[in-house]
Amino acid sequence: MKKLLWKLFIVLALTSIIITACAQTPTQTEAPAEEPIEEPMEEGEQAEEMEEAEVPAGEDMTATTLTLGYTASLTGRLNVSSGRQDNGLQLYIQDLQDAGGFEVGNEVVTFEPLFYDDESTNERVQELYTRLATEDNADFLISPYSSGLTGAAAVIAEQYGKVMITTGAASDSTYKLGYTGVYQAYTPASRYLAGAVDHLKALDPDLTQVAFVHENDQFSTDVVTAAKDYAESLGYEVVLFEGYDSETTDFGPFINKIEAAAPQALLGGGHFQDGSTFARQLYEKGVDLAYVALLVAPPEPDFAELGEAAFGIVGPSQWEPLAEFTPESAAEAGLEWFGPTGDEFVERYVAAYDEEPSYHSAGGYVAGLILQKAIMDAGSYDPEAVKDALDAMDILTFYGRIKFDTSAESHGLQIGHSMIYIQWQRPSGELEKEVVWPPEGATAETIYPLP
Amino acid sequence: MKILRKPGFWLPIMLVLLLGLWPVMTDNAANREVVNSILVSVALASSLNILLGYTGYVSFGHIVFFGFGAYTGFYLMSEQGWPIYAAMIMAGLVPAVLAYLLGSAILRLRGAYFALATIGINEAARAFVKNFDPLGGSVGMQLNFQIYNDYGGAAQALWLTYYLLLGVTIVILIVSYLVRFSKFGLGLMAIRENEDAAEVMGVVAPSAKTRAYVISAFFPGIVGLLFFFKNATILPGDAFRLHLSIETIVMVMLGGAGTVLGPVLGGAGYQRLRGTLLVTPLFRNVQLVVAGVLLLTIILFIPAGVVGWLRYHVRGLRRVLE
Repeated sequence: MKKLLWKLFIVLALTSIIITACAQTPTQTEAPAEEPIEEPMEEGEQAEEMEEAEVPAGEDMTATTLTLGYTASLTGRLNVSSGRQDNGLQLYIQDLQDAGGFEVGNEVVTFEPLFYDDESTNERVQELYTRLATEDNADFLISPYSSGLTGAAAVIAEQYGKVMITTGAASDSTYKLGYTGVYQAYTPASRYLAGAVDHLKALDPDLTQVAFVHENDQFSTDVVTAAKDYAESLGYEVVLFEGYDSETTDFGPFINKIEAAAPQALLGGGHFQDGSTFARQLYEKGVDLAYVALLVAPPEPDFAELGEAAFGIVGPSQWEPLAEFTPESAAEAGLEWFGPTGDEFVERYVAAYDEEPSYHSAGGYVAGLILQKAIMDAGSYDPEAVKDALDAMDILTFYGRIKFDTSAESHGLQIGHSMIYIQWQRPSGELEKEVVWPPEGATAETIYPLP
Repeated sequence: MKILRKPGFWLPIMLVLLLGLWPVMTDNAANREVVNSILVSVALASSLNILLGYTGYVSFGHIVFFGFGAYTGFYLMSEQGWPIYAAMIMAGLVPAVLAYLLGSAILRLRGAYFALATIGINEAARAFVKNFDPLGGSVGMQLNFQIYNDYGGAAQALWLTYYLLLGVTIVILIVSYLVRFSKFGLGLMAIRENEDAAEVMGVVAPSAKTRAYVISAFFPGIVGLLFFFKNATILPGDAFRLHLSIETIVMVMLGGAGTVLGPVLGGAGYQRLRGTLLVTPLFRNVQLVVAGVLLLTIILFIPAGVVGWLRYHVRGLRRVLE
């Protein structure tokens, strides 16, 4: 009997591990490498888009392939966002290979990806990044998705003197630990929701009471803490400031608190799973709010599957297909333009993956672009020269402006890029994202107050 | 010192030592990281074995001590400027005291009730740390990269952490052996077989169980500190991961519960299986599934674990494999 119980216990324990593994198997992780792009570009177009990328290897030119090492969360709770980030990066690498690479001195350089599954936990991140840096001899590193995993990977990058471009890692704290070779592509968490507070102020100067209900994790807490301070500095009264656990599926108690505090606006959320559930339950309970802004989930195309519950929800986004950053706007701003336009990126992404890119996808793509531009500016792929080029970088891409803090206190922190804010609306009956803030990039009026 | 002549004492220590010296001999950082993961698993599994294997109490909350020790040491290093050696002692003592307090209450429970209580403790610990601002709350704590300069730079600090972990793992194995072959250990195993009968025979079960719990809690805290010192970042979700507790139980069962060598083989085997699958192109996209199926198959056919199977089938090994 005892043996039987032991067997049963072991089977249950192992089954739980397997179920956890299977529960979130990768969905969008295939590299586009083997898939022909539906509408191949003309050679001339490619040359324009990749800037000096189309360089035929002549007799005195040698071909060099640099390895970009990284981990992606193919399994675990981060797999949706991380998968899209990985898609974006792999698309960039494929585009570069298709374009023939770029010239550095008398070499034509292309990239190749090398990545492992980090299982959405930092248990093996250091082991895998050490392997990438030493055994695999990756030339440059790209961060995992999420601030927590990036924190562990950054130590290894710094230790081995590897340049690491971080994407999907917004927490400010990572860039305040004394690293010299870690560069952030995302707008930092401290500026994630500040624009939503400005948006609210512009929409309704008389509104005074706001609530913050957020996922109790590093990223979301960093974001809302900064936003709360900013809101209070503008005279808002924060009537509720509450964190919920990452695994929360029943938001009933929090919604009751929101109703009791009776704020006019709600800001918060966390990641895709919890943010979507929170939005759905807010709608189902019919909470009376004039304005709702949630992190991460609303900009994801899958958010539309919530149907009516998605309508009117605002979300901060690092990038949107509607964003109009062009070579002309770069010239107007006195910045150098680099890489494809937003339309071109979207076209290629849709052709490769048959879905609209999210800002995670764009973040993955731009991480490769940043590295390419730095190597081109440095005229070398020596890490120290590339670091100098990154320190001096100030460019405009389809993703927005890229410029890094070079102070000792916050080296590598992104200071050029800004967030935009989208809202789910029905311009033609179907749910669609519209950019509603900042006003210079807005594609529609904000629906305010919420019906 | 009779035990120094016992092959069962030396075998696990020599195995761990040889494994631990491999990265040193090859001077290879990637090998060091691989062995580092194995040592963490072996240390956690061996410390859990004192409670699970010798006493027969299934604890899903072993990782609480890993997390609390790590947080204690991390706080002392990052906020109070303690050196790692002093922080390690406190990282062991605080979980041990916690285990004493908890053990006095929950070790009165038996079987499934005890197991359920330990799950609750894990969740409560995570929730507490997430909302306790002195320990960083939900944003955790970070170490400035400059802290590694106190230990000769980052590269040197990572090697130092490795040597410390190797040392701690060997100490755990020695303690595990001493407990296993002491009168106290016999009492624990009597409790495992039949607690009521053990008490009738004169074993003071509550006291023995609490002592076993305290000993098993001391070492995970130190291991936790070393793990997160390397990571430079500690977050509640990573420090109190229930999944890791379950994996540790699997490692003990895989190697052979109630033996000194079993958790060494189980921890090393499980880690290498997972690590190899993770970087093998054929399996890396389905490595969790493959690992699960393989483990399920192994454990179903050798329920006594590797050591138990070998002892049963190879008579000559019975004196060597303890």
